Amino acid sequence: MSITLDQVTKRYQGSTVVNDVSLDIGDGEFFVLLGPSGSGKSTLLRAIAGLTGVDHGRISLHGRDVTHVAARGRGVGLVFQNYALFRHMTVADNIEFALRVRRMRASARRARRNELLRLVALEGMDDRLPAQLSGGQQQRVAVARALAHKPEVLLLDEPFGALDAKIREELRRTIREVQRELGITTLLVTHDQEEAFALADRIGIMNLGRLLEMGRPDDLYARPATRFVATFLGAANLLLARQSARGLCFGTDPVIVPRSESAQHVREHEVVAVLRPEEIELAPARDALLCAYITEGTVGEILFSGALQRLRVRLHDAALGAHVLRSDEAGEEPFLEVTRTQHEQRVFPLAPGQSVTLGVRRLHVLPTPLSSFTVCAPSEELAQSLARQPLLTELAARMKTRIAVQVEAQLGTAPGAGEPLAPGGEDSSLMGAAVIAARNGAVQSVGWLLQRGAEQVLILPEQALAPRRVLIHWVDESVRRATLAVSASLLRHVSAEAVYVGILPQDGTLNARRPLGMRALLDARSEAQAVHGFDMRTELRFGEASGELAARLADSPAQLLVLGISDPADLERQFASLVNNPGWPLLIVYEPGDATRVRTRPRAADLLRLA
Amino acid sequence: MTVAERFHQPSVLPGFGLTFGFTTFFLSALVLLPLAALVVMAGSMHAADFLRVVGSARALGAYRLSFGASFLAAGINLVFGFVIAWSLVRYEFPARKLVDALIDMPFALPTAVSGIALTTVFAQNGWIGRYLALAGIQVAYTWIGVTVALTLIGMPFMVRTLQPALAEVQRDLEDAAETLGAGRLYVLRRIILPTVLPAMLTGFTLAFARAVGEYGSVIFIAGNLPMKTEITPLLIVIHLQEFDYRGAAALGLVMLVMSFIVLLTINLIHSWGRRRLVATAR
Repeated sequence: MSITLDQVTKRYQGSTVVNDVSLDIGDGEFFVLLGPSGSGKSTLLRAIAGLTGVDHGRISLHGRDVTHVAARGRGVGLVFQNYALFRHMTVADNIEFALRVRRMRASARRARRNELLRLVALEGMDDRLPAQLSGGQQQRVAVARALAHKPEVLLLDEPFGALDAKIREELRRTIREVQRELGITTLLVTHDQEEAFALADRIGIMNLGRLLEMGRPDDLYARPATRFVATFLGAANLLLARQSARGLCFGTDPVIVPRSESAQHVREHEVVAVLRPEEIELAPARDALLCAYITEGTVGEILFSGALQRLRVRLHDAALGAHVLRSDEAGEEPFLEVTRTQHEQRVFPLAPGQSVTLGVRRLHVLPTPLSSFTVCAPSEELAQSLARQPLLTELAARMKTRIAVQVEAQLGTAPGAGEPLAPGGEDSSLMGAAVIAARNGAVQSVGWLLQRGAEQVLILPEQALAPRRVLIHWVDESVRRATLAVSASLLRHVSAEAVYVGILPQDGTLNARRPLGMRALLDARSEAQAVHGFDMRTELRFGEASGELAARLADSPAQLLVLGISDPADLERQFASLVNNPGWPLLIVYEPGDATRVRTRPRAADLLRLA
Repeated sequence: MTVAERFHQPSVLPGFGLTFGFTTFFLSALVLLPLAALVVMAGSMHAADFLRVVGSARALGAYRLSFGASFLAAGINLVFGFVIAWSLVRYEFPARKLVDALIDMPFALPTAVSGIALTTVFAQNGWIGRYLALAGIQVAYTWIGVTVALTLIGMPFMVRTLQPALAEVQRDLEDAAETLGAGRLYVLRRIILPTVLPAMLTGFTLAFARAVGEYGSVIFIAGNLPMKTEITPLLIVIHLQEFDYRGAAALGLVMLVMSFIVLLTINLIHSWGRRRLVATAR
């Protein structure tokens, strides 16, 4: 491996800029780090170059641990967005800078310089000053300069940022050619997805300091695992859908029928589906559709953008429209974005205001367990005020999901001593994560919600802050998978560090169980990393679970606890004091322990056959 | 191109005629005419008298001290002004704003006050002077004292000229040099100094010019021994007190010419360097 990052973390003035990033880049690979500005990608690049230190983690280049090696000892070449050429030196002097520092003989320097100038197609420019060159030429000089000392790794920080489109494309090609010719491991940082697609062997996508996903460009585009990647990499319509034994439905009719037998056992639950604008088909009537039918709509605005036509189609069915997730333009009528090729435009010309039938050629279901939030409260008023809680609205906005409101009079009844609440009707099962206000008696409410089919319950104190640290704990190993999946989904949207807290009872058997406890920690960490791609710290504590967790939570403000349980009775038995009116947000993840109710979350591959 | 045409350059900004008129008027009234008067007055002397006044041993000693100490002081400022400007631009430390404001103090203080203050500190029984005296170094009433006073006076010129130039040196340049394998000293020598060299020259020029003309602060600390610690401006004042206006004018003329030559030389070096740095299109 040329570049190996192991749990690299960088904090700056209290906020975590780079959060537990682990990454392996192979020899000769062209890796592109893609992310919006402020996602920590440039900081990560500077950390690899040695221009900024890291607070935690290790950086290795070609197997050599360079975490504490200064920039000049790392043997990397770095190219900056603003070229950073030495303006008082000629092109030749700029390129030879690294060779002069190394006291190379003049003749050898000249030979190397000519070689590099040929490589970047700037022969004969030796005596020019940077000010006499165009932007594209200056950046070529910068590339040549960064390669002069034959670095093992080439780092490029938004190298095309200051150039216009035409030059950008040309320079992009040059850099790709140079990289291929030298076979040098290259890491490029950019916010431009087109650039990433054009150059990368592999792309890693960063947001809020975390490396969310990485993979081949086509894989990432076709099968994103997170909402962020789905919407950041190309355009995407996100829709909430119901996955059940009948298939995947947006409205009442299933769009997709299950292919495999195993899906027959699926309990109805909510999922997030990705509809790429180019995978939506528009037709005059349902019969004319060549693919699975979704709904009817009206063409809104039409934009011409060269090869493609971009349309917004408003949906007739309001109930279905409510399932379209948009983080922006809240007040507007729900619409789907559609793009059509020239050919499609000729076959079925459209004008604004026209009614159309929508179908979908291909869709992708995100494997994320947190689909949406449903606020549950005994009265409309309380529910509305809880739905406006800042942490909840912030979370929903970042997750690009919605907050639904459900009035449940049952939640208002005063809790009798251990008396269960009356069960609700089976017909109105809860979708998404249930959210309730923190209050005394919350334990009973949680039990009731879990009975109603909720898989996650978020207990939210009024003054809850955005968490800086997420504590993760599960009662037994059977809920590990579900708890980790929910935690991963949550952690992608908050800038917090993750800590798994393992707890062993402090009794006579402690010494015998200690190795098992350690193994559980390692298993948890490796599963988080391998399956969800996030890193977490682990802690082993001894004592009674509820008390230990409370003590850990009392350490510092702005923490959130994710608690995995397999038996609702455990809540009242063990965690009543923790659940009743906590001072911090508490997310309970429930996965029934018994085998008959085991549910598999179907992978995207199971859903590919369309109805 | 005729002369008239040369003044009729089309320009985006209107009012060239007006501003040029003001410029010439003020330059004439405030700079050129008084200087011309000086030349005329000195010129009305007999050549022999002129040479006697200008070439006297006392005058030669005064020139040597004035220009030598000014040059030395500007040189000291070149080094330490750079260090001060560097630390003000590059580092965050408590009371940085206060230190920054202190730099301007020599500008605001009446020069006589600085002179008295320096003398108090550097006299043989002063706070610093007594320890220097133990080491056998006498500051007050020697050429060293003169240099100290002139350094103080010139320092803000240096720092204030260098500050913006240093602030403009991009960190990226240093980062780039570092990844290419350069050490801190190498970066300073090959990247930072060449970039701020024009500003350093300007600062040097300003500090030097100010020091040559300085009078108030020096006369207290210098002790004013003829031939040894007497500066040229003081010698001129002495001539004036003896009502020898022509002699004073003659000395003034010599200072004028010498200063002009020095400043012109520095400016030529400056523009030669600039030509090398900033490219002219081919």
